[in-house]
Amino acid sequence: MIILETRGLKYTYPDGTVAIQDLNIEIKKGKKVAFVGQNGSGKSTLFFLLNGTLKPAEGKVLFHGIPFKYNSKSLREIRKSIGIVFQNSDDQIFAPTVYQDVAFGPANLGYSKERVDTCVQQALEQVGLSRLKDKPPHHLSGGQKKRVAIAGIMAMEPEVIILDEPLSNLDPVGADEIMDLLNEFNQFGSTIIISTHDVDLAYRWSDYVFLLSNSKIIGQGTPAEVFKDSELLKKTGLRQPTTLEIYHEIERRGLASGGNSPKTIPDLVNTLKPIDLIWVDVPPGIKEGDSLNLGVMYGQYATQSPYEAVNATVLHIHPDGRAIVELKRKGIKAGGVLIYDTDNYSLPEVKQILKEGEIVFVGAMGKKSKTLAEHDGIRLDISSGVIDKTILTALCGKRCLILTAGGMVDHALKRIKEYVETSGIEFTVGVVNREEGSQWIGETEDSPETLKV
Amino acid sequence: MTNILDDYALMSPLRYRNNWLKLAIVLFGLIAGASATSPIPPIFMALCMSFATVALGKAPLKTYFKLLLAPLGFAIVGILIIAFFSGSGPEMLSFKFLGYPLSVKTDGFELALLVLARSISGMCCLYFLALTTPMIELFAVLKAARLPESLIELSMLIYRYIFVFLDMALCIRYAQTVRLGYSNFRRSINSIGMLASTLFIRSWEQGDKLFLAMNSRCYDGKMTLFEVKRPVKATELLLTSAYFISTLALFYFTKNISIV
Repeated sequence: MIILETRGLKYTYPDGTVAIQDLNIEIKKGKKVAFVGQNGSGKSTLFFLLNGTLKPAEGKVLFHGIPFKYNSKSLREIRKSIGIVFQNSDDQIFAPTVYQDVAFGPANLGYSKERVDTCVQQALEQVGLSRLKDKPPHHLSGGQKKRVAIAGIMAMEPEVIILDEPLSNLDPVGADEIMDLLNEFNQFGSTIIISTHDVDLAYRWSDYVFLLSNSKIIGQGTPAEVFKDSELLKKTGLRQPTTLEIYHEIERRGLASGGNSPKTIPDLVNTLKPIDLIWVDVPPGIKEGDSLNLGVMYGQYATQSPYEAVNATVLHIHPDGRAIVELKRKGIKAGGVLIYDTDNYSLPEVKQILKEGEIVFVGAMGKKSKTLAEHDGIRLDISSGVIDKTILTALCGKRCLILTAGGMVDHALKRIKEYVETSGIEFTVGVVNREEGSQWIGETEDSPETLKV
Repeated sequence: MTNILDDYALMSPLRYRNNWLKLAIVLFGLIAGASATSPIPPIFMALCMSFATVALGKAPLKTYFKLLLAPLGFAIVGILIIAFFSGSGPEMLSFKFLGYPLSVKTDGFELALLVLARSISGMCCLYFLALTTPMIELFAVLKAARLPESLIELSMLIYRYIFVFLDMALCIRYAQTVRLGYSNFRRSINSIGMLASTLFIRSWEQGDKLFLAMNSRCYDGKMTLFEVKRPVKATELLLTSAYFISTLALFYFTKNISIV
């Protein structure tokens, strides 16, 4: 379903500079959309057009198929439904305390005091700032200010959230937290639109990408489609995403295959093909090109997971009865990833899981879970880029636990299941303390190690 | 970083107490201090307020003394003049300074002591307010005092932007300093001028951005102030009344006492 759409949009600044030219875009509901372009390509102007702040010179913007009417009543409706987070948080936060600033939006919507309070508490909890609600903004760090700005928008419960350069001026951990937050909101059904010039971010994070250059859309599609076209990227003055570039380089050297563009490091690792050519004794009657079942390998012969089924293709047969074969490995059982929902948190339970589940690697996603872990002295091996790192660790046959809450649980589960499906390397994944989905999926009877929690 | 009194107030544990109670204590202190006839009650009040500010309000002791020192300088100059040039009665001390006879009379000395005690108690009361009650807590008080809404809204916005512009000004000054903008007097004047004009333009731009920011969150011409309810606790009430009663008692008993 298309939630936001523009037709023949054009905008010129009072001094005659053309900011947007003949722009036709369609944004689908519940997607994560990135507008990528250099500085000055018109991203910020477009965002102000999308939220009704600027009125286009020509063309129109449609929300749920209905064109914007620029009268104050419909603008209110639009601004309630389409929230915008500015690039510079200091421009956005204007109230003397965090609480007052977050309460500004809901109060303007005419909610009762109690409802405003619930909205604010909820929004602050989501961004993990409940503790700082009485602080003045000048006592906050850059990342905290950004989260206050996002909470100010979240408190109005918009359907679409637009963020202008959400990661500018943030350190890697801060940036990761913001992206986690956005993923969580998206999981709850919000449509998220960001602008960025970070191609890696757009490639990794988004579902759909628009390339903007000189106030025009010059390319759009899924990140894999858009970023494959290096000519197009050159035109926008952007480079290819790093993971994709690495993949192309190693593919050209015959060290990787898989065809579809890897987005994350686990995806990239998965495309690597160890061209394992080994000598084996073959039974008579085998011809070159036949395939050979070598059975199950483990220990040092299994490179990707503790147990691997290995099939081999015979490439060349030597006169003495030995042959050179290329191995095709398929992991039978790698490690596993357990997800723990910290909404129903109990420390003894986590400790028990850590001990009995032979968990060697613990990660936390979301501010709330990190604070919990820190508070209760649970040693975290990782707190940023959690999903990718746990997949990599699970691939090495280790058991991992992710502490997280709310929509992030589903997000993590989805991401890891997707990986299992696309890679064909099976490892167990599941949510521990939830009614549904608490089973270890893919756990089989003959599995050498069964995990009981 | 700059030292701002408001920062101490923001971190003070007394921040989370009832504002009206604090205001009442300060107001009582100011009135009682100014109407004291003997230096003893104001000194008592100053000690109580200092204790409250430093021990209960957790203001750093060193800073507190430094803060007191500045107005104390003025007060001391003032009372020296009073001591030497006013009053009648028996002389306590007299000497010649550059041929002029100077003398301190009992009355004058009493008056000087009283003025000193009053000003110290006044200062301590005001510092108690300044160091335990940040501006953001006072907006609710302003609202309850029936000040016009637009004035309160403006003061809330101004409060926030003081710090934004202070940061901006410090950044600009730093940028000027590293490029030797303040190496001599002429250049300093020039740099200050540039700083001021840049700040003006930036604040103008900031105004535009502020309007955008407020509009994009459905601003309808009214900014609601959310007060936090902080009921007065029994212990606070008890402590305050003990303070009031002992001050008043002291007031009564020292009514006709003269020190000298």
